[in-house]
Amino acid sequence: MEAKHKYAFYLGCIAPNRYPGAEAAAIKTSKKLGIELVELKGASCCPAPGAFGSIDLNVWYAMAARNLVLAEQMKMDIALLCNGCYKSIWEVNHKLKHHDELRDGVNEVLKTIDMEFKGSINVYHLAELMYDKDIVGVDKVRDSVTNPLTGARIAVHYGCHLMKPKKERDFKDQDLLNTEAPTWMEELVAALGATPVEYRQKMQCCGAGGGVRGYDIVHALDIANEKLINLQDAKVDALTDICPFCQLQFDRGQIEIEEKFGVKYNLPVLHYCELLGLAQGMSPQDLALDLHAISCEPFLQKVL
Amino acid sequence: MAKIKGYPEALEAKLRDRYMYGDDAHPEFTDSVEKISMTIPHMCYQCGTCTASCPSAPRSSYRIRKFVRRVVLGLETEALTDPDLWLCTTCYSCTDRCPRDIAPTDVIMAMRNLAFKRDIIPVNFLKTVQAIYTTGHGVPNNDVNRAARVKLGMDADPPTTHTYKEFIPGIQKILDYYKLKANADRIVKEREG
Repeated sequence: MEAKHKYAFYLGCIAPNRYPGAEAAAIKTSKKLGIELVELKGASCCPAPGAFGSIDLNVWYAMAARNLVLAEQMKMDIALLCNGCYKSIWEVNHKLKHHDELRDGVNEVLKTIDMEFKGSINVYHLAELMYDKDIVGVDKVRDSVTNPLTGARIAVHYGCHLMKPKKERDFKDQDLLNTEAPTWMEELVAALGATPVEYRQKMQCCGAGGGVRGYDIVHALDIANEKLINLQDAKVDALTDICPFCQLQFDRGQIEIEEKFGVKYNLPVLHYCELLGLAQGMSPQDLALDLHAISCEPFLQKVL
Repeated sequence: MAKIKGYPEALEAKLRDRYMYGDDAHPEFTDSVEKISMTIPHMCYQCGTCTASCPSAPRSSYRIRKFVRRVVLGLETEALTDPDLWLCTTCYSCTDRCPRDIAPTDVIMAMRNLAFKRDIIPVNFLKTVQAIYTTGHGVPNNDVNRAARVKLGMDADPPTTHTYKEFIPGIQKILDYYKLKANADRIVKEREG
C-alpha cells in the first residue's frame, strides 16, 4: 500500500543514540497509520536549543537551518519525535520564514557550504500528526491496536517545547494550544486501551532543559523528583512522553535520584511511540526496552 | 482638547529624569537584550507571575522577575555574573503566562548570549559544542547502543552525520564561521587545564 503521507524523518540525538526502540517504533507504527517516514540523510543535532540558544542564537539558527535545507532538498515536510528538536527545527523554520533579516544572515553563512534556506517546507511532531484527524486521528490509532493495554494506568508528561510558548505556535487544533491543562495526549493513550491518569502539576517541566541537567544535576533532578512524587501518589503503572530528552531525565534520572536522594520509584518511562508499538503487537525485544534504565517488566506483565 | 498650561514643556521636564541610571547601569545593555531576545522587557510591571510559574524558583535563589528588572535598569554586570542565570530550564511557563506579553525566557537566553561574549559560560554548554563539532551529535552514539540497534535490525549508526560523515565538514564550517569551536576549546582549556 502506498503511504498517503510522506515525511523526512528527523531523528535528533537521543532517540537514535540512546532509545533506538523509539526510532524503530516510530517508523513501524507510523507505517500502519499511513505515514511513511523517509531517511533524512546527513542530519545533525537540531542543535540542542538550551545549549546552543544560550551560547549564540545565531549559531542555533544556522545549524537548525542546515537540517531544514536537507529536507527542502528532498521536497518533503519534516516529522520528528522529540520536543527539543521541535523547538529548534520548527521554531527556526518559522522564524526564518517571517524575519527577512534573520534569513539573510543565515543564508550568508549557509552560502559557505553551498546551501540556501528557502522556507519551502513545514515541520511537525509525530504526536501532533497522530492526533490530527486529517492525517491519522485518534480513531485510526484505536483501530490499529491489536494488543490493547487494558488495565494499565498511564500518566502523560507533555514536556515543554512542543506547545510552549503558545503565542509562537500555530497549531490548527485549539487543543494543542491549551498549555495549562491539555488532554489530547490522554485521548491518544486511551485509544491504546489504557487508562490515562491525571496528576498534580502535570505540565511541570522535567528539569533537564536549558543546560540545567549538565550545569546543576541535583537541581535538575529535584524538579524531576517532584513530578515523580506526584506520579507515585497517582498510582500509575507507567509514564509516557513525547520527548526522548524528558524520557532520559525521568528514566536514567530515577537511578541518579536514588543515588543522590535515596528514594526509589521504579516507574517505567516509555515514549508514546514505544507504547503504540506495544499496542500494535511489537514485542519488548522489537522495542529494545531492555535499554531503559528502569525495568519495564512490571508494566509489561500487566499489558502483555 | 483644551490647551493645558505649560503643556507639553512641563510634562517633558517631568519626564526628562525618568531614566534614573546609577553609576553601574548601562542603558545599552537593555537595548542589546531587547534586540537579541526580540521581546519587550521594558514593559514589565514586576507582577511576579514569571517567578510564580518557575520550576527553578522554589529550589534556588533564581528569580526571573529580578533578572528582568536588572535588564530594565541596565545592571549588566550584576545580571551576567549571577550564577543563577544558568538555572532557567527554558520551560517557557513564564512566557506563556506573562500578562505583559513579554517572553522572559528569551530575555534570559539573550543575557546568556551576552555573558558568553564575556567568557561567562558553564563548561557543559561548551562540551556540547565540541561533541557536535566532531560527530554532528550533541549526544553521540556508543557501543552498547550500536549493538542494540543491530539487534533491532537497524544499521549500527543512524542515517545522520554518524553514517554520512561527508556532512561533518559543513557543520564545522558553520561553527567556525562564528569561531565557536576555537572559543569553546580555549575556555574549556582555561577552566580544566
